[in-house]
Order: sequence, then structure tokens, then C-alpha cells
Amino acid sequence: MNQPLSHTDAQTVTLALIAVLLPFAAFVINFLVLGKSKATGWVSTLAILASAVLGITVFFKVWDKQVMHVQYLWFTIGTTKLYAGVLLNNLSVLLLALVSVIALPVHIYSTAYMNDDEGYGHYFRYLSFFCFSMLALVVVDNLMLFYAFWELVGFSSYLLIGFWFTRDSAVIANKKAFIMNRIGDIGLLTAIIILFTQYHTFDIAALFGSDGLIVRSVITHGEWVGPVGHIPAVWQYVAFGGIFLAVAAKSAQFPLHTWLPDAMEGPTSVSALIHAATMVAAGVFLLGRAYALFTETELTILAFVGCFTAFMAATIALTQNDLKRILAYSTISQLGFMVMAMGVGAYASSLFHLATHAFFKCLLFLVAGIVIHQVKHIKDDNNLDIDPQNILHLGGLRKKLPLTFIAAIIGGLALIGLPLTSGYLSKDGILIQSFEWSEGRNIFFKLVPTFGLLNTWLTAFYVSRLIIKVFFGEFRLQKMNPHIKIHIGDGSWQYKLPLILLAVCCLFPLFSLNPLLYEDAWLFHGFFQINFLVRSNMYHTIIPALVNVLSIGVMYGAWMLYVKRNTWSVPQTGFLFRMSCNEWYIDKFYNRVIVKFVLILSDTLYWFDIKVVDGLVNLIQSIGIAFSKMAAWFDHYIIDGLLNLLAAVVQGIGDFARRFQRGKVQYYLYSMLLALIVVFILKILIWT
Amino acid sequence: MNILTLLIFAPILFGFIILLLPSSWRASFKYITLIATLLQLGISIWIYLNFKTGPTNAGINFVDEFQFVQKLPWIHLDLGSAGSMQIDYFVGIDGISVTLLVMTCLVMVIAAVASWEIKGNLKGFFALFLLLDMAVIGVFCALDFFLFYTFYELMLLPLYFLIGMWGGARREYAAIKFFLYTLFGSVFMLLVMVGLYLSVKDPVTGNHTFNMIYMMDQANYIQGSVFSVLSNATLLGMPARTVGFVVLFIAFAIKVPVVPLHTWLPDAHVEAPTPVSIILAGVLLKIGGYGIIRICMSLFPDVAHSGAFWLGLLGVISILYGAFNALAQRDLKRMIAYSSVSHMGFVLLGLASQTAEGVSGAVMQMVSHGFLSTMLFFLVGVVYNRVHNRDIYNFRGLGTLMPKYTVYIMIAFFASLGLPGFSAFIAEAFSLAGAFKSHSVNGLLPYWMAVCGSVGILLSAAYLLWTLQRMFFGKIALKGGDIWKNALTDLNTRETLTLLPLALMALALGLMPSLVFAKINDSVLALVEFLQIK
Repeated sequence: MNQPLSHTDAQTVTLALIAVLLPFAAFVINFLVLGKSKATGWVSTLAILASAVLGITVFFKVWDKQVMHVQYLWFTIGTTKLYAGVLLNNLSVLLLALVSVIALPVHIYSTAYMNDDEGYGHYFRYLSFFCFSMLALVVVDNLMLFYAFWELVGFSSYLLIGFWFTRDSAVIANKKAFIMNRIGDIGLLTAIIILFTQYHTFDIAALFGSDGLIVRSVITHGEWVGPVGHIPAVWQYVAFGGIFLAVAAKSAQFPLHTWLPDAMEGPTSVSALIHAATMVAAGVFLLGRAYALFTETELTILAFVGCFTAFMAATIALTQNDLKRILAYSTISQLGFMVMAMGVGAYASSLFHLATHAFFKCLLFLVAGIVIHQVKHIKDDNNLDIDPQNILHLGGLRKKLPLTFIAAIIGGLALIGLPLTSGYLSKDGILIQSFEWSEGRNIFFKLVPTFGLLNTWLTAFYVSRLIIKVFFGEFRLQKMNPHIKIHIGDGSWQYKLPLILLAVCCLFPLFSLNPLLYEDAWLFHGFFQINFLVRSNMYHTIIPALVNVLSIGVMYGAWMLYVKRNTWSVPQTGFLFRMSCNEWYIDKFYNRVIVKFVLILSDTLYWFDIKVVDGLVNLIQSIGIAFSKMAAWFDHYIIDGLLNLLAAVVQGIGDFARRFQRGKVQYYLYSMLLALIVVFILKILIWT
Repeated sequence: MNILTLLIFAPILFGFIILLLPSSWRASFKYITLIATLLQLGISIWIYLNFKTGPTNAGINFVDEFQFVQKLPWIHLDLGSAGSMQIDYFVGIDGISVTLLVMTCLVMVIAAVASWEIKGNLKGFFALFLLLDMAVIGVFCALDFFLFYTFYELMLLPLYFLIGMWGGARREYAAIKFFLYTLFGSVFMLLVMVGLYLSVKDPVTGNHTFNMIYMMDQANYIQGSVFSVLSNATLLGMPARTVGFVVLFIAFAIKVPVVPLHTWLPDAHVEAPTPVSIILAGVLLKIGGYGIIRICMSLFPDVAHSGAFWLGLLGVISILYGAFNALAQRDLKRMIAYSSVSHMGFVLLGLASQTAEGVSGAVMQMVSHGFLSTMLFFLVGVVYNRVHNRDIYNFRGLGTLMPKYTVYIMIAFFASLGLPGFSAFIAEAFSLAGAFKSHSVNGLLPYWMAVCGSVGILLSAAYLLWTLQRMFFGKIALKGGDIWKNALTDLNTRETLTLLPLALMALALGLMPSLVFAKINDSVLALVEFLQIK
């Protein structure tokens, strides 16, 4: 299994390992040496900078060239040997580079953003650990290790979401995030155990490789038959279900998506990281890794769930007023898009969208961070009682934050997917392929591309609404409180540099030299499905045109609605509005039904434990005591009583007889007389 | 002198020293105890390092594969025509016991340090403590059933007094409950032991024997004897071997504890002083698991095989039932007690699978739980000592007040809920993997058991994170107000030094599971093979 590597290959693997371990080293240094010092920020940033450079180097060495796989024996259990190793293929080096490159601007940004926070040192510790977990997740070659880092990603996000742990909302949010992710984790663990039982190995390359064990398995007659054994087919479906749960938890798909909007309680820079390349990307990455496992039906399920999630989240984003919440739902929506893409077989497009989305979503969150930070300054300077994240207070910030404004426009356009941006390239690819996929199937399957299309227009609307409310019109906060002092600006270079970097990466040249044709993107050629690259039908022309013309129409509508305010206004009542505003009542349902059910069940079982199980023990005890009391009574009154009675009788007789011998002559005479009388009576009456 | 014998009896020597010293020297007792436990730890580490692995050192059912063996005639009576009675002092270890020994010795050191808090009647406390120490080590080393039983019963006496005299408000209730529960199990065990004695002959001397290794070989059973496989004897209308297995299982299941025989545990834990809680959770529960492996399953492999479903079912029920109960608690110690029930359920599930993965996972879980529950109970003791309260609702925001303490709480909690990198993750994952695999390997457990068991992992996250959120995060709010606030000082050096090795052990076992697996693997494989042959 372990073919010898050439010298340069070994070097590449070492570089990849160093790229993974550098953030960990930063974590250890920050933890053991630096403590609360400001140097922690720079140690972490330098580490991630070096990781990014190494990540890109490794990327160029591996991309489209060869797969590298190195492993060492970790431990033996029974007859199973577990190897720990590194697997570098197109998928993993893409993520390796992406994660480290996205993390870099976030680190730089954080050094300024968190500067005034007491927990500065802690923050960078956690951040480095977070990056380490994610980087390790993408390169490991073994499902056990994959699971380990999968959960460590969740754990470090737990630490970061609850970073301000004295806030109740933050600790409730991080608990929710962890438990939701735990549901996914047990799904993944179950799937891993099923695969282990079926194939006796945890090795990702051996399982999911192009001629791996899974490819060589078939489902026949209700059995799932693999090269080394077989189990009932239902366990193949359960394995899919487990992986689906895992993906749904990490990548925030329905029904496990509700933790992501709440995860906004963490620092905004963390949100940027969680939403862009770490954490939520892990789910789509898992789909990419385990793609070989899924059957046709299972892929269809993925497509529908992804499509539904995308649509649901987009409708929710329409009415939210919290800046970060809108972005959070937009992330869920875009992730739904990626999962849908996986489902319709647009494997490459899905990963392409993952990459482009990482850049523009990170950019948008950093923009949001700047806005929130500045509004918070106004709030603190003037002692206002407002929520700095509420977009209803904002407006007209384009003049005060010019660079931030430009960055927001670029990010927003990329998210909508207009030409010249990277989002255009990746998004239209997915739509076109979903139409091709539904071709030749029944009408029901047309739902997926139709809703996908609808979704892009919804996206255009909420993005426009967000940007208009924040950057256009007039500053509503100032209008409400006319005498407040406002000194705000884009901030130091630590804010500006990340914005510029990311904004440049949101434009087309990074991914394709041709700004209009997604088929030319290099990223596309790295994955196996070449057939989609052929412009075989009309869809390749019609859909981009349709999408973009209508998107621009929607944006114009939003402009008219929110800036000019001279057309109709959206009704703020009605069932649909409330549904959207309350996030489809999903969270309420979970809290009122599922959480409550679990709590009632646990209370009931505790009652059972105290009253029935322990009650039985106590009953036995009471019976024992009752028996012993009865025995004591019996002992005291019957056995002892008989004895005492005997003693009393003897004593009575003795007392009686004693009277005859007290030494008085009269008594002796009486007794002699008595004896004589008795003798006479006897002699006369009886013996004769 | 045999090193195991030294390991077993070293504490009792120190116990005598304590008894002989005048009470005015009472301040030194804790140091003497600590030295005794440290010495023991040193010996156990030496044993661990010199423990030979390889298929020829597997142990299990071959007398000459055991290591550090000492066998001395103990009670030999010539009964004339009835042959002669043969009870040996026979100790030795194999892979199953060696890791548990090291774990026990480390837990004992921690318990000794936790005893610093004990105030009254120090002479009695430490003498009983050392007596208990001797008994538990003896249980893990004994290979003669009579000797095993002696040590096993000997544990009860000091524990009864330790809970009953140094415990909390309802200590007498808890102590007598614990005592009767355990006694109930062991009285019947005595009958089975005698039955086995009468059924087995030593192949060398031809006498009846209590040698457990001989009891594992069907060739040593006397024809027609009650526990011989061939004789098909019945007791109370049921096959005698089934009855024997069930009786022994109940005895050990009480110790583990397995639902529904667990209710002594929360009471005993809540009332026991911290060091005794530590020993109870860290070591005593493992004796249950060890007994199931060494005695129930080894002496009655045929019944273990046919009854595996029920063992697995009890394991799953314990996992889920314990977890749900933990979720309902508001007393921190009681919650951890129930979480022990849940975590020990994985041991039973892993053992029931009778696969190499499952049994290894179960042994790993015992070792891991030994360290983690010790840590948890010690941590509860820290808060309880300071304010004499452990109600979760009475605390909030301890993270700000006691940052170091919170770090250790988080380590202990996350390690217990199976965060990768810590030992419990490997243990639980492989217990479940073994349980799932069982159906396709030996057909013992249905697939769904492992799936249900994995829900326990989810629930453990729920109750532990809830506690974290409720007690440690948020703004400071204490029921006792400023008095508590002043009393709740952060960990001192002694406490940190106690917790650090435990945290490091949990981490080391999580990163390098081979520390345990390398030592136990041959024995586990031999055991699995032995169980398959029946």
C-alpha cells in the first residue's frame, strides 16, 4: 500500500505537513509561552502566512499531476492496523491552499479587530487551533483521523463562538452549535463504523479511490456486496444517512442548519472564517471525499435537500434586519447550492463554487465587521442604546467608509453572480448542469433547477437590500439622534489590506481568463467530469443571460424600493412575511418539541429511577425490616413468652409450696392435719 | 520476593505503621499514605515497562503465559478419603490486568492526595484506605478464585466504614445500601465458587482446585459434576451453567454498575467523601468489568456466547438510561455518577460483542474512565470543599472566578464526552465499532445496538455542555453571595499537580492508544479466540 516516494514527492508531503502543523505550533507557543501578550497575534499570523505560502506551493506541485499518499502505523487493535497519513490529491490540495489563503486576511484583520479585547491572547490561540484542525482535516488519509479533526473543528468553533463567554446568548449559541454538530458527528461515526465493518479498513484512498473498494461494490438482492464481505443493503443507506447528517450539521443544511445563524455570537472575524473556508466547507469537502459511496437515489436526495435549503434560507434572508444574520442565511443558501450541485452530479462546479464563495463571503463578513465596529464606536462615544448590527439604523455609509463600500459592492456582485466576478463563473455552471440533469426526467425533477433559478433572484434582492440599507440613502442613526458625533473611517491597514486582497480574488481573473464562460475555468479541469465542459446545448447560453438580466431587474427594483421609496412598499404583515421573519419557525419547533421531549423523557426516567428502581430496592428493604420486626415480635412474645410463662408457673408453684415451710409450728400442725384428713378421705372414699 | 506480592502487600505494611504510630503524629499519616501509593505506582510502572508482549505471553487460559507469577500453597488440608483441600496463594497478570493495575495505582495516588481534606479520625481513615488499596490490587492479580473472593470481600469492609463514617449527611443510608447491594451479589457468588471447586480437578495433583485458569479448561472438569458442560446438570430447573453465569454476572454487574442494579452508585457517590468517590468510580467499577472478563466470560464462555445479546442489550440500556438520568440531575456529583453508569455501559457493550475491537475498546474505556472519572470527582470535590454545595443551579459564571479550574473542568468534560485526542474517544469509537462488527463476525449482536449506543455520545454532549453553560459561563451569580465568592478561590498547587497528570494521561492515551493496545492486544486476541472455541 505504501509505494516508495521519490525525493521530491517526499519533500512535497513534508511541506504539506509543515503547512498543517505551523498553526498548531503557533497554538502551542501562544498557549505555553506568550499568554496574553500582543505578540500572540503576530505569531499566529506569521504561522498562517507561512502555511498559505506552503499551501500554494504544494498546490502547484500536486494539482493535476499526481496523487501522493504517505502513511505510518499509528496503532494496532486486534488484527486491524490503523495508519496515520497524508493523502494529497486535487481535492485536498485545493482545500489546503484555499483554507490557508482565506485564513490569512482573517488573521491580519483580527489583529486590529480584537486589539482592545481582554481575551486577545485566547482568541489567537483558538484561531490557530481552528485553522490547524481544518487544515489537518483536508489532508488526512484515514477516516478515524478524519472524524477526529472533524470534531476538533467543531470543538474549536465552540470555543470561538462562545468566545465572549460571559454573554448568555453566546454560550447558548455555542452549546447549540456543538450539540447540532454532535448529531452530525454520530452520523459520521456510524457511517465510518459501517464502512469499517464492510471493508475492514479506514483508509480513505483504499475506500473511495477511483478503483477503490466502494467502486467495486454492488447492491444486489438486498445485500451490499463488497470485495471483502457483505452486509444487508439497508446499511448502505444508513451509511449515506449518517454522512448526510454529518454534512447537514457542518455545512448547515436543513434540518440541522439552525446553529449557524446563532453562531454569529462569536467575533465577526471568526464568522468570516467559519462561513468561508473552515467549518462549513468541511461538509461539502466530506461530500467530495465520499462521493463514490452515493447511489443515484441518494444523489437525488442530496439535490432536493440542497435545493430546499438554498430556497428556504434565501427567503429568510429577505426579511432579516441583523446584518450578520442576513449574511448567515445567505451562507446557508449558498451551501445548499453546493450540496445541490453535488446531487446533480456537478462535482467540479460544486467545489468551484465552494472556492469562489469562500472569497466573497469572507469579504462580506469582514465588511460587516468594519461596519459593526464603527457603529459600536458611535454607540460607545454617545452612549446610545442600539443594536449595532441592525441595518435599520444604518445608511449612507458609502461616503464615510469608501473602501469598505467598494469591497461590499464587489462582494455583493460576486454573491449575486454578475459577470466579471468569480461568482458568475461558478454559479451559472451549477444552474446549467442542474438543467441538464433534469432533462429527460419527469416534471418533478424540474423543481430543482427552477428553484435554483428563483434562488438567484432572491439572492439578488436580499444582497441589494443589504447594501442599499447600509451604504446608500442617509444615515438613519444620525437622523434619529441629530447631535451625535461621528468620527468613523475604514480603519488601519490591517483592515484595508485584507479587504483589497479578498476583493481582488472575487474577480474573474483568478479563476478564468475568459470572464463569461465558466467552462474555461482552470479549477474545472482538475476534476474528473470533463463531459460538462462541452457546450452541447442551449442551456449554456440561455441560462446565464436569463439569470443576469433578471437579476439586474431585481436589483433595480430593490433600488427603487429602498432608495427612491416612490413605488409600492412590501407588506410587513401576512403569513409569508411572518414565516420568513421567524425563520420558518424551525428553531421554535426544535425548542418546543424536540428539546422539550428530551427533557421530559430524562425527567421521567429519573422519576423511574428514584421511584421504581430505587423504590423496589427500598421496598425490599422495607419488607426485610417488616419481616425482622415480625420475627422480633414473635421472638419476644411467643418464644420468650412461652419461656416466661413456664418460669412464672414454676415460680407460682414454688411460692405456693414455700408457704408450708416457713418454720411456724401452727403451719406444721395445719399441714399435718391436712395430710391426715387427705389420707383418711382417700382411704375411706377411694381405696375401699 | 515476587514483585506482585510486594505490590499487593506494600500498602498494608504502611497501614500497620500508621496504626502503630501515636495519634499525636497524625499530621504525618497522609504523607505516609502518599508514600505508600507512590511506591506502589513506581512498582506498577516497573511492571508495565517489563511486561512482555507477544503471542506466547497472552495469558487468558494458559497458566504458563501469565507473568510475574507467584504460587504458594495456602490452605492445604488432607481430608482423608475425600481427597485434599487445595487453596493456593496464586497471583499473576496478563494483558487484561496490567493496564488496569497501572491505572489503579495512579488513581490511588490521586485519592491519597484528595484525602488531604479529611479532618476527623485520621488514623482510622488512612488505615482503612490502605487496607482498601491492598484489596483492590489483590483482586486484579489473583488467579485463584478463593483468593480473588477473599480480596473481593475484603474491599467491602473498609469501603463501608469509609462511606459510613466520613461521608455526608445521609452517609449511613448510603453505606448500608452499598454494603447490602454488594453483599447480595457476592453471597451467591460464593455458592457458585464452591460449585466450581467441586467440579474441577487440578490436572497435576488431582485435587479439587480453585485455580481459575484450570476452571477455563473443560478437560479439567470432573465427569458428571454440576458445572461440567457434558453433564447438562440443572439447578432450579435451569441449566446449571446458565445459573452459574447469571449469578456471577449479577455480582459483577452490581459493581459495574449495570442498569437496573445501579441505584447504590448515585447515593454512595453523593455521600462518600471525595477520595472514596474517586476510588469508587476510578477503581471499583473497573473491578466489575474485570470480573466479567476474567470470571464470567472466561469460566462460562458457552453461556457468554449464547447470552451475548442480553449483555449487549443491558449495555445499551445502561448507556442511554444513564445518560438520560444524568440530563435530569441538578446535583453535580449525582450527574457525574449517572454519567459513569452511561460510560460503563460502553464497556459491557464492547465485551458483549466478543470481537477484538470491542474487547479492546472496553478495556480502553475502563482505563480511560478510571482517569476521567477520578478527575471529575476530584473537580467536584474542589468546589464542594470550598462552599459545601454542589447544586448546579446555585452557581453561574465560575469561568470568570476560577479560570484555571474551568480549564480543567473543560478538559475533563470534553474528554468525557469523547472529544478526539482524548482516551474516551478511542475507547467509545472502538467499543461501538466492535459491537457493530459483531454481527458479521460472530453474529452475536444485532447491528442496531451500536447505532443506539452512539446516541449516548450525543446525550453526553448535551448534559455536559449544559452544565458548562449553566455553571461556568455567563456572569457571576452565586447563591451564597460574597461569602461564596471569597471562598471560591482558584486551584492551588496541590490540586493542579493532582489534576495535571490525569489530564496528561487522558491526552496521552488519546494520541497514542498503543500505550494500552500494545500491551493488551495479544491477550485480547487470545480471549476472543478462546470465546469463539467455547
